[in-house]
Amino acid sequence: MTPLAGYLILSAMLFAIGLAGALTRRNAIIVLIGIELMLNAANLNFIAFWRFSEHPEALTGILFVIFSIGVAAAEAAVGLALIISIYRHYKTTNVDEVNLLKG
Amino acid sequence: MNLSLMSLEISVVALGLVVLLADLWLPAERRRALGYVAAAALGLLLLQNLSGCCSCCVAGGDGTAFGGMFVQDGLSVFFKRFFLLAGALVLVLAVEFSDRIATGVSEYYSLIIFALAGMLFAASANDFAMLFVSIELITITFYILTSFTRGKVAALEAGVKYLILGALSSAFMVYGIALVWGTTGKFNFNELAQVAGNFTDNKVFLFGVVFILAGLGFKIAAFPFQMWTPDVYQGAPTPTTAFLAVGSKAAGFVLLLRFLFTAIPSVTAHWDKLLIIISGITILYGNLCAIPQRNLKRLLGYSSIAHAGYLLLGVAAMTSAGQSAVLYYLSGYLFTTLAAFTVIALVMRHLDSEDIAGLAGLNQRSPLLAATLTLAMVSLAGIPPLAGFFGKFLLLKAVIEQGAVNHGYYCLAFTALVGVVISLYYYFGVIRAIYWSKDAASREPILISTPMRVAIVGCIAGIFWLGVAPGAVLRLAESAVNALHCPGLALN
Repeated sequence: MTPLAGYLILSAMLFAIGLAGALTRRNAIIVLIGIELMLNAANLNFIAFWRFSEHPEALTGILFVIFSIGVAAAEAAVGLALIISIYRHYKTTNVDEVNLLKG
Repeated sequence: MNLSLMSLEISVVALGLVVLLADLWLPAERRRALGYVAAAALGLLLLQNLSGCCSCCVAGGDGTAFGGMFVQDGLSVFFKRFFLLAGALVLVLAVEFSDRIATGVSEYYSLIIFALAGMLFAASANDFAMLFVSIELITITFYILTSFTRGKVAALEAGVKYLILGALSSAFMVYGIALVWGTTGKFNFNELAQVAGNFTDNKVFLFGVVFILAGLGFKIAAFPFQMWTPDVYQGAPTPTTAFLAVGSKAAGFVLLLRFLFTAIPSVTAHWDKLLIIISGITILYGNLCAIPQRNLKRLLGYSSIAHAGYLLLGVAAMTSAGQSAVLYYLSGYLFTTLAAFTVIALVMRHLDSEDIAGLAGLNQRSPLLAATLTLAMVSLAGIPPLAGFFGKFLLLKAVIEQGAVNHGYYCLAFTALVGVVISLYYYFGVIRAIYWSKDAASREPILISTPMRVAIVGCIAGIFWLGVAPGAVLRLAESAVNALHCPGLALN
């Protein structure tokens, strides 16, 4: 197994764990953590591909990771603010109990 | 580096910052009118863009900036005008809505402008980094816009649902971009197009493409990524819903068109069956689920899923006729949808929910609004001579022309017609509620401010203009999609 394949398998596992967490957990904060895991799996992929590419002197992979981390931080900030407002109304962060809109 | 190409985006971002700062110095009672100022500024930018005095309108003004990340061509100019018009109309609607926003009216305006800036960047994105950052600028801004009325539980719930599903889809997209970049080593769409043909058998690459399409499918609300649409449309404040329906969907489509036809044309050519199936299911799902709805905004949410399906007809046709039909249909959809949401915002002012029964007696309360909503519903249903009819005609024509290649296209055209027939039922249910319902809750006339009246009349004029005299916009759309097929221009 090449070192690149090892990193790709690790990141695929991270992605799958994150997806499973996001889909099965009912607590909104755990769901967000799961999504963060998925984003970081993608970042790990970028770094691995960049490190083992033929042109590691081109910094495109690293650059994208920096954008991705910045966007994930913005997403987490908005997400936690929303979850706090939800908690104030419902006194819970369980996504199954937030079910006013349906049909 | 060619910064002058980005002058429009820079002006829009600056406008957003000015609105945000003006909030500090303006007295509270005058902040509301800031929205009119911002809308007028966007209108001026649009006029300047239309008059051709900026270099981008002539062919010589096309070009790229930032090493090919940012491209200015016919397609991006078409969509930039589209987004500016939508942004200006939504801001007028937001002023009308501002009395229902407890605090931070100026923030609401400036967030709309920042989302608009994201859409303008999306129109010019020619690189995965641009695609990702512009799409996230739009989406994260919309999380806030969706739950801006944070005293309302429905808005918060809509925001959380949009956030969780949106973050999930963007995680898929980043993972997909990582796989595509890792296998091909290319970020730029034009460079990727040259090598994509060698990777059509590479499973990792194809996984990446599917993941990116999942992220874009979420933006346009195509099946199976449509779960958020009805909840978010219903819970969000009405101007947000209007902007989501028009701007966010169009941004998704411009990125989808560029990704499918500029970046990976050799892969797309094999995927006609997938596009046909997704388009057909999206049309049927949207139309069937809209039938039992009693909430007008939720109904329009399902109808927006159906319209994403109709728009995908043009993408699935994979010809320039289909792509120009997508652009034309989106233009008609802009006027129609904004007209419908404007009426909802005005009529449902004093009601808790946007139930269709609230429309009772609208004909006596305001004949103008009743006529506007009727026209919007008739155009959405696709009845001549309005914009929606001609758009659907072009899309179906493009699909049927391809029928000789693959008989699946005939099935798709038939599915779309079935969808249109189903949709007549619920659109006419709305019209019936306006004119023929007995017990009206309120009979007082509805006051409409002058800017609002101008916006409504403009939308009606647009619906008729696109339906009766389609030539001008159709020519624009046709020259715009040429940019998708001659990437050599963007490489110089």
